[in-house]
Amino acid sequence: MVAPAWLPTAWALFQGLLIEAMPFLLIGVLISGLASWLAPGGQWLRKLPTHPLLGPLAGAGLGFALPACECGNVPVARRMLVAGAPLDGALGFLFAAPVLNPIVIASTWAAFPDQPWLLLARPLGAVVVAFSLCRLLALLPEEQLLQPDVLAERRLNQPLSAVTLLQRRGGLVGPEPASPAVASTRPPLLDVLHHSSGELLQLALLLVGGCALAAMVQTLLPRQWLLQLGGAPTGSILALMALSLVISVCSSVDAFLALSFAAQVTPGALLAFLLLGPVIDLKLVGLLGLLLRPKGLALASGGALLTVLLIGQWVNLWRL
Amino acid sequence: MATVTATRLRAAGLALWGLVLLRAFADGRLALLLRDVFHPLVNLAGMVLLMLAVGLLLPLGRQSATIGPARRRDWLTLAASTLIALLLVLLPPNPSFADLAQQRPVDDTADAELTFVLPPAQRSLTDWVRLLRNQADPRLFSGEPASISGFVLPREDGPPLLARLLVRCCLADATPVGLAVRWPSDRPLPKRDQWLQIEGVMAVQAAPQGEELVLVPRRIQPIQRPRRPLEP
Repeated sequence: MVAPAWLPTAWALFQGLLIEAMPFLLIGVLISGLASWLAPGGQWLRKLPTHPLLGPLAGAGLGFALPACECGNVPVARRMLVAGAPLDGALGFLFAAPVLNPIVIASTWAAFPDQPWLLLARPLGAVVVAFSLCRLLALLPEEQLLQPDVLAERRLNQPLSAVTLLQRRGGLVGPEPASPAVASTRPPLLDVLHHSSGELLQLALLLVGGCALAAMVQTLLPRQWLLQLGGAPTGSILALMALSLVISVCSSVDAFLALSFAAQVTPGALLAFLLLGPVIDLKLVGLLGLLLRPKGLALASGGALLTVLLIGQWVNLWRL
Repeated sequence: MATVTATRLRAAGLALWGLVLLRAFADGRLALLLRDVFHPLVNLAGMVLLMLAVGLLLPLGRQSATIGPARRRDWLTLAASTLIALLLVLLPPNPSFADLAQQRPVDDTADAELTFVLPPAQRSLTDWVRLLRNQADPRLFSGEPASISGFVLPREDGPPLLARLLVRCCLADATPVGLAVRWPSDRPLPKRDQWLQIEGVMAVQAAPQGEELVLVPRRIQPIQRPRRPLEP
């Protein structure tokens, strides 16, 4: 049997995407594991604001403290969710932190030093996207939004005032302990290593699936086709959004990639490319599926596409 | 047979991924996949994964009773990781640069990255393209000697170019730059993806957009793909 001619190129693209993403995934898991060891019980996470506006903003702002690209921040967001952090805070972090961190802002500035509006518009746009998605996903009950294993662990860590006993499948029954001393006992290092390694192996396999999908689509769908759609204001935004979904490149370097076609597309399309990729792309689908049920994932994807499209349109009205 | 704990299986999984990354660093394939700046990161990640695997097997402290024998899911995860690791190690990447280049828009950012000008004979293909973007008049370079290497990139509206791929992160974001070559008329055109070292002089020829710089070869030498085929 002869392998298709495109297969060697797709295999190389797959390896490039996977090997580039693995260190960042490791960084995310290490941050998550370290947080669970240094701040056992995640009590500080539960103190994040629950206000509909401040919650997503606080979560998004954590990106400055926990710099990770979109692969690395999935384990950190998972850690926040299972530790009982307010949903808005955890989702705000998940969707905005890949842009709102010093590395990504610096790389955007390095790639577009002559376009200061982009340096402002990208973080602002990321906050708007994260806020919109938080409000949209809040329409779903947590049971329909989060994966069962995430939800079960989350219920155990949420205060009894926030969760009914029926929602908890284990843990303490009765009045909430007056002192958090038991919950804040530092776990054995080996336990943290054990759980983090399990998480990393699981995420790595999901990453493999995402990279394989992205590599195959990239090989079979010539990028020129998408960029040739890019002349019209709306067409260019849609084309660049599709491109960001397919390319699946890390948010810390996507600005340099955007630089290569910035002159051929509208400003709104350029911003749309820089906003959508860090939230959702083919490589991320598997990783996000670890946190969100299919319904939640579909809602998040649809919401992100719509919000980014609207932001792109608005920027085109402003800049063209 | 002693019961295998989940921890041991996870240690094996981490070690596998660590070895894959270290192997990729050692066998030179990273030069084909990623920009140079990421290579130490991959190497470091491989070492950290191996250290974590060793850490899992060492009695670093008291292990809680919640960690029990390996479950079916642990075995499946290890089996899948092993399969992928084997495929990655046994099947090195061998992409068609011409296929990649033809799928992507030509890089038009090179002019912003030109910092200084090398003597003509020392310029790489990418240096020439960047120089041309800065000095739009190709006549300025007519008659200058050149010695460049690249792969053969066919194009629809003319003879093949000699090209290189520029990369910012990994192969997924590579974009091509190319230079026109006046191929000898007494020989067949070179095959796509063939790597060539060409020595010659620059000349100017008519092109649809006006005039373009073309390399007139004195000597064309087929070469192996260079150890570092991607350029920043």
